[in-house]
Amino acid sequence: MHWLPARCRQYTNPVFNIIYIERQVADHARTREICARFPNATRVECDRYGEVFNPKSQNFRLQKRSPSLILAEKHKGRVLQAPDGYGLGGNRNYYFSHMLNCLYDCRYCFLQGMYRSAHYVLFVNYEDFENDMGTLLAQADNEPCWFFSGYDCDSLAMEPVSAFVQHFMPFFSRHPQAHIELRTKSTQIRGLLKMTPIPNAVIAFSFTPEEMYRTLEHKVPTLERRLQAMLQLQQAGWQLGLRFDPLIYQHGYQAQYRRLFQQLFSQLDNEQLHSVSLGTFRLPRSYFRNIVQLYPDEPLFAGAFSTDNGMISYPQAVEQEMTAFCTRELLQHIPESLLFPCTLAA
Amino acid sequence: MINLVVALPAEARPLMARYRLTDKTTLGGFRIYRNAGMSLIISGPGKIAAAAATALLAGCNAAGEQAAWLNIGIAGHATHATGESLLVHRITDHATGKSWYPPQLFDLATTTASLLTVDRPEESYPQEVAYDMEASGYYAVAARFSSTELVQCFKVVSDNREHSSAAITAESCAQLVTQSLDEIDPLLDALSALARDQDRWHAAPAGLEQLARQWHFTVSQQHQLAELARRWKVLVPDQPLWLNAFDNSKKAAEVLQCLQQHLDALAPGPLQAIHEPRV
Repeated sequence: MHWLPARCRQYTNPVFNIIYIERQVADHARTREICARFPNATRVECDRYGEVFNPKSQNFRLQKRSPSLILAEKHKGRVLQAPDGYGLGGNRNYYFSHMLNCLYDCRYCFLQGMYRSAHYVLFVNYEDFENDMGTLLAQADNEPCWFFSGYDCDSLAMEPVSAFVQHFMPFFSRHPQAHIELRTKSTQIRGLLKMTPIPNAVIAFSFTPEEMYRTLEHKVPTLERRLQAMLQLQQAGWQLGLRFDPLIYQHGYQAQYRRLFQQLFSQLDNEQLHSVSLGTFRLPRSYFRNIVQLYPDEPLFAGAFSTDNGMISYPQAVEQEMTAFCTRELLQHIPESLLFPCTLAA
Repeated sequence: MINLVVALPAEARPLMARYRLTDKTTLGGFRIYRNAGMSLIISGPGKIAAAAATALLAGCNAAGEQAAWLNIGIAGHATHATGESLLVHRITDHATGKSWYPPQLFDLATTTASLLTVDRPEESYPQEVAYDMEASGYYAVAARFSSTELVQCFKVVSDNREHSSAAITAESCAQLVTQSLDEIDPLLDALSALARDQDRWHAAPAGLEQLARQWHFTVSQQHQLAELARRWKVLVPDQPLWLNAFDNSKKAAEVLQCLQQHLDALAPGPLQAIHEPRV
């Protein structure tokens, strides 16, 4: 089989055989830096990234075997209002994505259903994102603003390529009114460990129990490695978050989640935990249909789901049972003030 | 199934010999040569002919079967040497400016290049790209029938600034393709593997056809049945799609209800199944 060789499957340091570059960013400094990391990659110019990323007849599952990199400029919609119910206590909540698509391959992830292509799109115009954040901060008139990263990608996984944290953290250091959540499953924390921790940043790690991780979270670092990364960050003084989202149901889930919580909270220092959140598994119906078409053989999607208001989820009784159980278990480890259940409207 | 779209008989001959494509038919003026797993159509020159031939071949494919596509032919290039093989990573139609980007999933020795499809033979090669006359027509149509990872374009440089296209003969054309067969083989292997994977993922469980024949399912019910069959294949993988309770079912709706209840009772415990990480 002539797939890209094993070295390319070290997902901490991806290698690209093709880099697509929008003509207008061909001479951008960040483009040049990134291309210099991959001197053997073929560079293919395009007018707009959508020409490569958007065509209908693409198969996300097949492309996930060997995604290419697309370097582009994000022209608009760079920093968007977060949905109601999404937040950590603030009133002004925004999300932004410097990148589309994730290094990892979690089978429950909505990205598989939302995007046709598995190529990574990296928007190199970071400064424009910062300008937009600055505008929102000015409008907020000193009221705290939360900026959530990690919606369309993992915040840290591609750091060696994107230098995302390296660039953006100084901005948040200069704007203490601006809070950032970096949601991740990655152990790429070298950059953070080199920086002085800032109080308005939360590094939020996502977890599922070991049994589910092994079956569903492909290419993700092990639970133990992520925990070790958290401990290193905690020791360095960073605020941490724990994200149990989505909660995945299977027979025996209670013992599995109980074990997970025990493993995490027995080692993490609650005093340095910023927040813990949990959310149930749900997908827009159209995304679910797309994902099932890609993975008709996936056991996760063979279960009984409910449809309500265009969203696929576990039956309500199952959702409620899981949420109640996990909440009870978590409150044995943390005070209620740290817990933020995700209550996204359908 | 592998579908080869080739413009010229001289390009086709080495492929027919290599892959023993001996079964010949003629449809709509196009000659098609086949073996059990591969079809080759000779389109004639030009992108409209290539588009028509591609559409015809797509229509000949068995319903539901995943097909991989490969356009093979000669092309000019400003600087690449004659005889060099190129796997195309961008196809641009000169007349419209539209471009397509065949995803490059394979680690092959073949150089990749951009290709410009022109309406007249190129003689001055102004851009650093390959030049042909068929690829945009072929690709635009093939990509409607298969996912683009399965639609690829392979060219052999036949002319450049040093060697005019006027010197190309049928014999030299056939020779160029023959010399590239060792690079075409692994590409076809890789494409076949992708198509087979897709076939395996989407294969219906045993018994579905019989079930569908035994009761009259409306279109909506057929969709429901397909979805339940998908779940059956995951939850009850080693058994054909049948329940004893169906014997008592007079209507398709009863069959669906019975099947749904059975599957819902099994799930949601499906993650108990141990699976190796998939690609």
